[in-house]
Amino acid sequence: MMTENPRRTVVIGLDGVPYGLLDKLSDCGVMSNFKDLKEEGTFRVMRSTVPEVSAVSWSSIITGKNPGEHGVYGFTDLLRGFYVLSFHSSKNLKAPTFWQMDKTCKYVVINLPATYPAGEINGVLVSGFVSPDIEEAVYPREYAKTLYDLNYQIDIDIERSKLSNRILFKQLYKTLDARMKLALHLWDDMDWKVFMLVFTGTDRLEHLLWHAYEDKRHEYHEDFLEYFKAIDNAIGTINSRLSEEDLLVILSDHGMERTEINVNINALLRQEGYLLTEDNPKKGYNSIKRETKAFALDPSRIYLNKKGKYPRGSVDMDEEEDLIQELKELFYDFRWKGKRVIRRVYRKEEIYKGRCVDQAPDLVLIPEKGFNLRARLFSKELFEVDEITGKHTLDDAFLYVKSLDDEKIPENPSVEDVLPILWSLGGLRVETP
Amino acid sequence: MKPHNAEKTCWNCPAAILKGNVDFRACGQSVEAIRKRVEREGILIECARQPDLGRFEPTITFEECPQWRLTEYGYMLENMRVMILGIDGYLGWTLALKLGRLGCEVSGVDNFLRRRCVKEKGSMSIVPIASMEERLEAAREVLGIDINFREIDILDREKLGRFMKEVKPEAIIHYGEIPSAPYSMVDCDHAIKVQYNNVIGTLGLLFLMKEIVPESCLIKLGTLGEYGSPLTGRPLFEGLFPADAVLIWGGREWSLGGEVTPRDPLSFYHVSKVQDTFNIYEACKYWWLRSYDIMQGVIYGVHTDEVAADPRLRTRLDVDEWFGTVVNRFVAQAILGMPLTVYGEGQQIRGFIALEDAMECMTRLTSSPPEPGQYDVVNQVSGLHKLIDLAETVARVASEKFDIPVKIQRVENPRVEADVHPYEVVSEKLPNTFGFRPKVTLEKEITRMFELLTQPEIKERLKRVAHLIRPSTWWSGEKRVAETIEVYTPGTKRVGGFQPVLITKREAIVPVSKPVEELEEPIQVLAKDDPPKKKTAKKVSKRNGAH
Repeated sequence: MMTENPRRTVVIGLDGVPYGLLDKLSDCGVMSNFKDLKEEGTFRVMRSTVPEVSAVSWSSIITGKNPGEHGVYGFTDLLRGFYVLSFHSSKNLKAPTFWQMDKTCKYVVINLPATYPAGEINGVLVSGFVSPDIEEAVYPREYAKTLYDLNYQIDIDIERSKLSNRILFKQLYKTLDARMKLALHLWDDMDWKVFMLVFTGTDRLEHLLWHAYEDKRHEYHEDFLEYFKAIDNAIGTINSRLSEEDLLVILSDHGMERTEINVNINALLRQEGYLLTEDNPKKGYNSIKRETKAFALDPSRIYLNKKGKYPRGSVDMDEEEDLIQELKELFYDFRWKGKRVIRRVYRKEEIYKGRCVDQAPDLVLIPEKGFNLRARLFSKELFEVDEITGKHTLDDAFLYVKSLDDEKIPENPSVEDVLPILWSLGGLRVETP
Repeated sequence: MKPHNAEKTCWNCPAAILKGNVDFRACGQSVEAIRKRVEREGILIECARQPDLGRFEPTITFEECPQWRLTEYGYMLENMRVMILGIDGYLGWTLALKLGRLGCEVSGVDNFLRRRCVKEKGSMSIVPIASMEERLEAAREVLGIDINFREIDILDREKLGRFMKEVKPEAIIHYGEIPSAPYSMVDCDHAIKVQYNNVIGTLGLLFLMKEIVPESCLIKLGTLGEYGSPLTGRPLFEGLFPADAVLIWGGREWSLGGEVTPRDPLSFYHVSKVQDTFNIYEACKYWWLRSYDIMQGVIYGVHTDEVAADPRLRTRLDVDEWFGTVVNRFVAQAILGMPLTVYGEGQQIRGFIALEDAMECMTRLTSSPPEPGQYDVVNQVSGLHKLIDLAETVARVASEKFDIPVKIQRVENPRVEADVHPYEVVSEKLPNTFGFRPKVTLEKEITRMFELLTQPEIKERLKRVAHLIRPSTWWSGEKRVAETIEVYTPGTKRVGGFQPVLITKREAIVPVSKPVEELEEPIQVLAKDDPPKKKTAKKVSKRNGAH
């Protein structure tokens, strides 16, 4: 049975924006629209998924499920039965999204990460990053023409943006402007019930220039703030179009902080003798040798090289428990300049529930502050510094609901709670049991 | 031992879709820089044959992939779509049948230019060949092969592009060029015709590949003649200098590793091949196309199992001065009772390969594509021979096996070329990387040719073109038949000139191509399990004894 509700729901996503940053920028006058909104609604810290990656987190937001149910554990995974790294596809999502749960109302969803290729929707879906082909990134496909007409670009050109910050900002504004044009066009053009728009330039900017944000004297510090002002203007524009009845939710999928050092988990496993590969980078994970006991996938997922699961699996079932204990010890003892690197080692049973748990990583690592975990297979360096100065965080995503009725919003929400919160506030129609 | 291409991965596979998944702006940087980036950041592809795999790293090996099937030539892509440009030609038709029989989906393009060029010179294929309609029907009937043929001039880019879009070839074998040095030297019109057809045809093809099938491999027929025959005896490397090649000048030293080796073409036709080389090299660099440029030795012979399966499946054979290659001409002359004509001193050394072996090389190369952006060159040759020795060999087979007495004659050399020179050819890749071992000896193929060409119908046709064998096209532009310098009985002439050196496996010490007088044995540096070659040159010199 379906319950009818006249309210329209608008969800604005700010990819990678931590609670603390938004709080500060709104208080200090950079984001004045959001400052006003804070007074009219409920603004909470939100916990991301484990691992704290956009593909996993947005999948939880749009399905209301934990990764054990929706089956997405990262942007990458191995093809079943191969040591071949595959990239996330919307086809791999094993739980229904909110627009699949109720196909009777119209949706506009723009720039939602990890939804490529764009699948069927009653309305319009434009996928966010990572979308290699614009025609596959939009449903219905004929909307690709609108995107071309608006000079729409899904993501900034990261390779070019790394060349210079001038190019970075040009790219950020180009994508933002086109995104807003598309959003306003669809806002007026379609009789929608749910409107979801995600800004992803925030994540890109924070990754590349977090150091400029922290350093007031940095040449690009003001530009950093200016971009958030532009995001705030966009929020203001959308807010101004809402009626009293409409429900506005703003949220992020994970937080961000300064990277102190990048830590290569596979280099550690290799150094300690758990990971052995042929010296052939062209074969990627397919160079893993039979002697391998464990390997990592980005950013911090550890997989035991189990017999029966992988072509050259070597870990017997009765060895697993000892190996897991050994690895936990290894990670907890791991130090950089005397500092502990790993704050928490989760076993999959501790964090995931559902029918996709068998594909989950055996262990997932949560780093201490400032340590950016990654899993480059052939890098021999345990620790390395590069141009990425912002890293994801688990505990300080945010959730804002333009409603002072905060009873229906948990004190410490996590991304999986977003959909139930929307239901409880009557913002979405939902099939009742 | 694993087949030669078992460890190749999707990275080499034409079914791996790179467009949209790989940042093509990386082109133009060094291949090394691209490799490093790939290692660091990874590259994702989609599989055109298995779209359900989504996007993934191109790391599945041919051995693991269900799309690749083990054959006697290594792993081959199941039903690989191969397009042959110039499918009506001597090599194109032969290869079409071979690949078709191996399970490839063969398509082909031709505008019958070769038939017209030969006819224009008043000649014809001495092995009668069927019309394309009959050929296609016979291929279907006798070998069970369906060839998708279209009559297209490769200069007509619109038509060719349409056909490529329809077929989406996974490999393109480019035989669609005018393959004759003397034809290009007839006069200005002929030089322009050859260069326009060859150079512009290939350049247009590269643009079409970039747009339509950037993942497909271009297997392009060049010629060993692109290198010329350097009088210093510098080895003819495989297109690019090896890593340990060094240039020393003015007391300073540079590595030449990876640089394109010098080219010294021998005619305007050879120049067209050199120009192709550079166009392809650049296209690989700019657009991440991939190519094998085949520096093929002089081809000869008539036999493969497929063309011999039915008279309607026979491939053409030309013996006139323009389109007949030297061994083919010698056999024709022997059967006609004419002296075998060698030009000038006759001490010119060339690389050779029999038709059947060449087809095997092409099959192995087709099934083992290079990497995106890789321009690779192979020297496709199974033996080096001095022309005067070849004449001796043909004469010997003629007299010993067919009881045909033969004379040899030296005529004025109408070409501008060194007729006494050292010659050292490196051909390491085919035997070592692609698992190729020559199967056909010179004597064996010459014998097969005698068997076929002495058939009455063909012998009759031979008589009709007999007057077109002796050269009359001069590089100087003169138009006159080359005069005889001397006529002699095989086995009575001293063997001079230089001893050729063929290197199929590099050892610590590489021998030098020296004057024959200084050497007892012919030099062959062979890959480990190569069968020992017949020492033709030595036999001849021993038999002849004195000068």
